[in-house]
Amino acid sequence: MPKVKIPRKSTAIDMTAMCDVAFLLLTFFILTTKFRPQEAVQIDIPASTAQIPIPDRDIMMFQIAPDGRLFFNLDDQPTRLKLLERLSTAYSMPFTAEQKDAFRTLENWGMDIRSLPDFLSKDPVTRATIQQPGLTIDTTGGQHQVEDLILFSRQENNNLRIAIKGDKTTEYRYFDRLIQALQNRKVNKFNLITSARAAKE
Amino acid sequence: MAEMNASGGGGHKKGPKKVRGKKMSTRVDLTAMVDLGFLLITFFMLATTFNKPKTMEVNKPAKEKDDKEKEPPIKMSKTASLMLGARDKLYAYVSPDEIDATTELTIDSIDYSPNGLRKFIQRRQREVKQQWGDQDLLFVMIKPLPGSNVKNIVDVLDEMTINDVKRYAILEANDPIDSLIALKTGQKRKID
Repeated sequence: MPKVKIPRKSTAIDMTAMCDVAFLLLTFFILTTKFRPQEAVQIDIPASTAQIPIPDRDIMMFQIAPDGRLFFNLDDQPTRLKLLERLSTAYSMPFTAEQKDAFRTLENWGMDIRSLPDFLSKDPVTRATIQQPGLTIDTTGGQHQVEDLILFSRQENNNLRIAIKGDKTTEYRYFDRLIQALQNRKVNKFNLITSARAAKE
Repeated sequence: MAEMNASGGGGHKKGPKKVRGKKMSTRVDLTAMVDLGFLLITFFMLATTFNKPKTMEVNKPAKEKDDKEKEPPIKMSKTASLMLGARDKLYAYVSPDEIDATTELTIDSIDYSPNGLRKFIQRRQREVKQQWGDQDLLFVMIKPLPGSNVKNIVDVLDEMTINDVKRYAILEANDPIDSLIALKTGQKRKID
């Protein structure tokens, strides 16, 4: 019986095409990725059928934690710096160059404005571990820190849209305090951030 | 796998003067590169936030100045009131145009499900259409009590969009009827 000889084939495969695909996909993902900013607090947003996507730029965001703590985020860095300068004069607090730089990259924060310099001089790792007390909001009297933030930010960037990101379980009274502050600054239009959901029939 | 074929070159020796460049295969092993590529892809895929959050626009009525002449109030028979209470409670009622001693007021305790809130809104839309000829005339007053949460508000606003309610507003619960309901149901009315 003659043996059928199976020709020995090389196990090497041409990887060029695969490599091309891999890098094509890689490029796509690199370009589309927007990293999740570091959150000062975990917020579980409610779902709605709203279809308007959140704009990419010019957003001033307030986050309300379930316990009512309020956090502030301004998306673009030049405006952040201008805001800090305004705060610096309004609250007569000088900031060093390092503190300004730290503020420029600070995504979410929520504390009394007067304790900002102290917070900014800490190194980033310590900053991440600190439990922030939330912005000082006072609508009955005293210094309107939140209103100042709204006013200064809007003066520095006129196109700002105001977004409110509230946790599902945040009680309305905390929400209302913020809205009162906004309305005192003549902001009657704002956006609530929700996740997408299909309408149930 | 690695195929850096370094053969060739040997074989013919035709004199020492011509040093030929070694003929190398142009094939490079791409396995490692592909590995790296896919590793990075995996990383970026996991790091990407695909689901961009959506937003819901809210317009609050501007704060009124007391000295200004107000617009005539809306007929109560065109309205529907929703009171959002603590523990996911929702109270719906329709105020009569004029309150007198014989007025009867029914307050429904409904929920946020399609069977509760949506049915109520749709029923009200039909009634307004019967009475006034156009269901868009319905004005929904949303009155959150301090104990309600953001999810409740989003749910109600969502229901407005789903049912195509043209006119609605988030208002303070400061009606006498609201106080009564709050009292009866054990809800806090004032924000402390």
